[in-house]
Amino acid sequence: MFRNTWRTVLGVATLVCLLGFGTAGTANAETSTALKINDGPCLKCHKRNGTMLGVHGQDKMHFTCSTCHGEQGVHPRKPNDIRVFNPDPENAPQEQNKTCLRCHRPEKLAAGEWTHNVHANKVSCAACHQLHPATDPMTQMTGTQHSQLCRQCHAK
Amino acid sequence: MDKSKRQFLQGSGAMIAGISLYVLTNGEVAGEQQKSAVKYAMLHDENKCIGCNACADNCRKVNQVPEGVARLEIIRTGPFGEYPNQYYHFTRKSCEQCEDSPCVHVCPTGAAFKDENTGIVSVNSWKCVGCQYCIAACPYHIRFINPVTKAADKCDFCRETQLKQGKQPACVEACPTKALVFGDLNDPNSEIVKALEENPVYRNKRDLGTHPKLFRIQAKQGGINV
Repeated sequence: MFRNTWRTVLGVATLVCLLGFGTAGTANAETSTALKINDGPCLKCHKRNGTMLGVHGQDKMHFTCSTCHGEQGVHPRKPNDIRVFNPDPENAPQEQNKTCLRCHRPEKLAAGEWTHNVHANKVSCAACHQLHPATDPMTQMTGTQHSQLCRQCHAK
Repeated sequence: MDKSKRQFLQGSGAMIAGISLYVLTNGEVAGEQQKSAVKYAMLHDENKCIGCNACADNCRKVNQVPEGVARLEIIRTGPFGEYPNQYYHFTRKSCEQCEDSPCVHVCPTGAAFKDENTGIVSVNSWKCVGCQYCIAACPYHIRFINPVTKAADKCDFCRETQLKQGKQPACVEACPTKALVFGDLNDPNSEIVKALEENPVYRNKRDLGTHPKLFRIQAKQGGINV
């Protein structure tokens, strides 16, 4: 009987701990919308497609939208100098990747994942990576999903 | 006396002729048995391979190969060249399906065997006692002890799984770039025979005389065109 009560107490304590951590996690996700980067003037128009939740948006990095996308210039008139990141091959991958390579060294990228080396300037970073969502889908990929991703372009 | 000597000579002559005939015909029959109707082989085009590992993934899934061991691996070497024009080489590491297989010769229980109908070297897991003699004998180091069955295991061209259902081996089905070709060497119209005729190929450790049936097209220097 005595042992059982101990077990119950332990179980309840673990549950409380887990729940506590769980709510803390969700609270973090909610507050990430309140990152400083999302207070910028760009969000007045780009609320729907511009909210930055990813690691590049964290306050300690002191990024603004223009750090990656360039100064506003004549935007929204066209043509303008805003840098756009997308998988579209018409938007030259080499030009797109210049921005990322300002901070990310090719050697370090290759150490993390060898496929960086072979795609270098032939595929844009944005073809695989998404920086605005809270987590980049590439970071949570299983081996099988990874090979399926190769298939999307390489299958004939 | 003379008669009996002649009879003896005639008799022994007939016996020798009989024995030699018997041996000859038996030998021919044995030779015919060894020559299988179908002789499966595989070709890995290292130029088409992108190292995505889809083959190894599907092999594991279809043949239920436990984690920690593998029937098939893609060995990646590189990078070669200077950034941003770097490239890798990919080679297939799996059973080479030797025609004269050392593993079969050394197996004391007959668990390692060559299927005479298909030419596929395979393992009878229930016969295997786990002595690992075959693992030591294999010049390609591709055999392993399956931690679940405790028997020696290796690629058998999906003989027990895909081939029984009339499908291609799991790796061939999974390959997105069609870098793997599987087929019958005895069929002059098969895709693999045509590919072997059209391309210069190489095989691993040919000098050992094991006659492996895993052919490879050597990668040319350079990247891959999507």
